[in-house]
Amino acid sequence: MTLALAEIGRTASVRRSQVIAAILCAIAVAAVAAVPWVAKSFTVTLLTEAFVFAIWAMSLNLLSGHVGLLSFGHAAGFGLGGYAAGYFAREVTADLLASLLFAEAVVFVVAALAGAVATRLSGVAFSIVSLCIAQVLYQVAIAWRAVTEGMDGLLGVPLPRLLGVTIRNGAPFYWLVAGLMIATLGGLAVLLKSPFGATLRAIRITEVRAASIGIDVRLHKWLAFVISWMLAGVAGALMVFLKAGTTPMSLHWTESGNVLIMTILGGLGTVVGPMIGAVCFVFLRDFLTSAFAVWQFVFGLIFVILVIAFPSGLAGLPAQLRKLSWRSWS
Amino acid sequence: MAHELNFLLVNVVNGLVYGSFLLLTSLGLSLVFGLGRVVNFAHGAFYALGGYVLISAMRLGFGYWLALAVVPLLLTGLGLSLEAGLIRRLRTRPEVDTLLATFGLSAMLVGGIEFLWGTGTTIVKPPLGFDGIVQLLSNDYPFYRFVAAGLSLSIAACLLAIVQWTPLGLRMRAVADDAEMAEAIGVDRVGLLGQVFGYAAGLAGFAGALGAPIFAVYPEMGLSILIDSFLVVVLGGLGSLKGSTIGALVVAVTKSIGGAYLADWSTALLFLIVASVLVVRPTGIFATGRTA
Repeated sequence: MTLALAEIGRTASVRRSQVIAAILCAIAVAAVAAVPWVAKSFTVTLLTEAFVFAIWAMSLNLLSGHVGLLSFGHAAGFGLGGYAAGYFAREVTADLLASLLFAEAVVFVVAALAGAVATRLSGVAFSIVSLCIAQVLYQVAIAWRAVTEGMDGLLGVPLPRLLGVTIRNGAPFYWLVAGLMIATLGGLAVLLKSPFGATLRAIRITEVRAASIGIDVRLHKWLAFVISWMLAGVAGALMVFLKAGTTPMSLHWTESGNVLIMTILGGLGTVVGPMIGAVCFVFLRDFLTSAFAVWQFVFGLIFVILVIAFPSGLAGLPAQLRKLSWRSWS
Repeated sequence: MAHELNFLLVNVVNGLVYGSFLLLTSLGLSLVFGLGRVVNFAHGAFYALGGYVLISAMRLGFGYWLALAVVPLLLTGLGLSLEAGLIRRLRTRPEVDTLLATFGLSAMLVGGIEFLWGTGTTIVKPPLGFDGIVQLLSNDYPFYRFVAAGLSLSIAACLLAIVQWTPLGLRMRAVADDAEMAEAIGVDRVGLLGQVFGYAAGLAGFAGALGAPIFAVYPEMGLSILIDSFLVVVLGGLGSLKGSTIGALVVAVTKSIGGAYLADWSTALLFLIVASVLVVRPTGIFATGRTA
């Protein structure tokens, strides 16, 4: 009897918390959608960039936070997707869907090959090889002048068209990016709740045991690698449309470091963390580069402090603070 | 034909010269990894810092050789204090945390270099008496490169001898082989790692200073050699000194010959070689079961 009552109570509270969560989500989406009406156009541009980075950081989080493969070369999928989409939009058609499709096809082929090599490894060796892969793409972007125009970069990428309508910079492009970002967030949340997500977590916790209960570890690492790169490719393509071009710097290791810091700042292995991290990162960088001359130094310092003091990132901060009230600094 | 052969020869020699520097940085990277499972992303920044400390010391009026002697002392000190202040705190954390921390450290050091010395490229002249030209099969070849390569090779040989034949080296090998067992029989593992981290930083700085007259000095110089060193240690097997030695040779010569015939594509070629090795042996060529 009491058990049944407790059960009813719990279902009710679960239902109530679900309703609250749904309301909060709706408010958040409405707030995101309303930004262009209330904010300055500069803020809208900054936020557009932040949301593109958010998609990218979420893609890294899938690989590094949930599967435990810490990539130091995540600029690879981003830069590659950007080059492919930009080239296609400039040379063939500026149709957004066609450009994205082409970019995704290119990213898939390269990710499938790179992933086949990289996912043979784990831990530190994976990190190093992922860095190497990105550096190779960086070198190729410099060397393959016929397509990439070398160090000058791919410039003059036209505005994208969706169903024949040109999407102008500012509010329209912001809405597009915000919509895709929210869709990515939702999609990843569903994916991580699915059996596939549970399998990925099992691999992160211990590869050997995951394998011993019959999980094809290599296959799942490879799948996560390819999905992660393809999501990064979407972000890269959006960034190229936002900036109307790209340079080899989009593949540089500092970019891989940037996305890593965004993800860690927000919280590796969480769901909303990377988005929070990306938004904080973009606004912090905007503030710091106008305030300090040496951004790189500050960037490194933030990195070190985060790793030492806040390993669970901003998303893990509430839990960490709660723990602090129980335990003093150890 | 003779001309072709000369061209190839010069590039092989260039590769060997670069390889001798790569050997110094890779051995340090490999030792630190083997002992403490620490992948040091800041290793390249130590290399770059070596070049800049040399420049500053020379501006202060030190001669080249004296400045070259000051560099490893300062860098060892820096390495020791960074290990004690930062790396040691992360010892009980997962491996990747030290990776992230040294990554941040590297950005800080390179940022600091750009702040203190600017972003430009500085060319350092070879020391007097060593700035001549020698004949290499009817090619003019800078004499200093032979001197520098000889010096770094002998230092690398000393290092390998220390690891192989001294009590310090014995302790290092014991920790690399089985850290817990080594601690159980009384090896101070934490202190040893700190020491080795410091020496490795000094060694990297020395390589940067010694190479300054050959490769010039610029803030990003550490990154390219860091990536090459990573290729070396992954190719040779993380933690294996024998692997690093052979890996440095392979990477440097491939890069030099590839650079001569394939220009900007040579890095891609190098990566393909490393990737194919990893497909066959995921732990590298010489990794032993326990250190892998």
